[in-house]
Amino acid sequence: MIDFQSGYILRPVNPLFIYFSLFCALLLNLIPIGNYGWVPDWLIICILFWNIHQHRYVGVIWAFLLGLMMDVHNSDLLGLHAFSYSLVAYIAISWHRRIAALTVLPQALHLLPIFLLVSLFPVLMHWILSGELYWWALTGAVQAAIEALLWPMATRLLLAPQRRAIDVDHNRPL
Amino acid sequence: MLIDYRFKTLNPIRNNVNWILRPLEYIMMAPRNVFEASSEYFTTRGTLDKENQEMRVRQAELSLLANQSEYLLVENQNLRQLMDLQKQVSFKTLPVEILFNPPNPISQRIVINRGSNDGLKLGNPIANDAGILGQVVRIYDNSAEVSLLEDRDFAVPVQVARNGLRAAVFGAGRGNPLELRYLPVASDLEVGDVLITSGIDGVYPPGFAVAVISRIERSADQNSSNVFCVPVAPVNRYRQALALLYDPQWDAKVSKTIPSSGIPAANAPGRRQTRARGMQ
Repeated sequence: MIDFQSGYILRPVNPLFIYFSLFCALLLNLIPIGNYGWVPDWLIICILFWNIHQHRYVGVIWAFLLGLMMDVHNSDLLGLHAFSYSLVAYIAISWHRRIAALTVLPQALHLLPIFLLVSLFPVLMHWILSGELYWWALTGAVQAAIEALLWPMATRLLLAPQRRAIDVDHNRPL
Repeated sequence: MLIDYRFKTLNPIRNNVNWILRPLEYIMMAPRNVFEASSEYFTTRGTLDKENQEMRVRQAELSLLANQSEYLLVENQNLRQLMDLQKQVSFKTLPVEILFNPPNPISQRIVINRGSNDGLKLGNPIANDAGILGQVVRIYDNSAEVSLLEDRDFAVPVQVARNGLRAAVFGAGRGNPLELRYLPVASDLEVGDVLITSGIDGVYPPGFAVAVISRIERSADQNSSNVFCVPVAPVNRYRQALALLYDPQWDAKVSKTIPSSGIPAANAPGRRQTRARGMQ
């Protein structure tokens, strides 16, 4: 796959690394920080990243299963995260050609509405089910903004193994 | 989602996922626990001294109160028997530890480290030293989820400690103050009144502090008043709490003697009288 930022061809991805990074993101989500609206959802960043870059390995089904785990962890209605994760995974996969061709900052801007959808989905669902809208719970938008800001970091981190040089020559400068 | 909301049939899935997830959650709690343990370890001598002093004063006060309360308890039971009232029921406590509060924008819950294996049941109240925290709403084998007082439509029957007025406290959603509903406008309420559980629902044992009235808006034309209260028990201060294992039926099954006084249960003070007294 071509890295559109540098123009180089990336090394093939290691599936183990994909699953390892998803597992790490899940663990990061389980850190007991407290019930604050702004805490970024590491898992959805990681899922969306792999959806866009390697949608053959991580698709809607993985998003659904991991969302189910987050439902149980958050003691939400079973299926709330599972549905929102798989919905945005579908959106991300259908946009992946467009998004992957952009540089990192426009990518983050493209992903902001997707993150917004994930963050506000529980609030909207609660609105539909109970008819009561929690206005201040819309601060989940802050979470989405933070996640979009973390996108360049995620790109750097998760693409790093693929950006290694193929033949390392210690005598050559650069 | 609808299946879970309406029919609650997905519990096996939830239990299995939880079984996988809980060890991972314990692992991720380790850094926080280490941090807290180390910061406790490095508290200064002065702080400890001060804390010790306060504890000693508090203990003296409490032991004085405890001596008195035994006397009052016996007196109260005797008076209740004289008046043919039902005996005050007892409850067991189970120390629990609050593991974490899961992120959820709508409602705040806490997860505790005891479950059905420890005798906890659905609906058991959870309290800390200040008062009632909430109620067990979902139970696993070794953990349980507790919904807090301020959850939407969470109701606790209470009475005003000052004058015994009965009412019900309702939660109004996360971040909103609790509401005291179903009271006429002329009822005798003041800001600062403590509300304690009345025990009429058979879920909460009577006499636990629940909330303090913080604001009263009376509207004479609607003959109703909006009464807002704040919970007395802080959620995020301590990690320890108590589960109250309480069953109003227990007083019918108590052992033959009351352990402290050795009186046979048949004519123990306050024993529920099923027959008219003259027929005995």
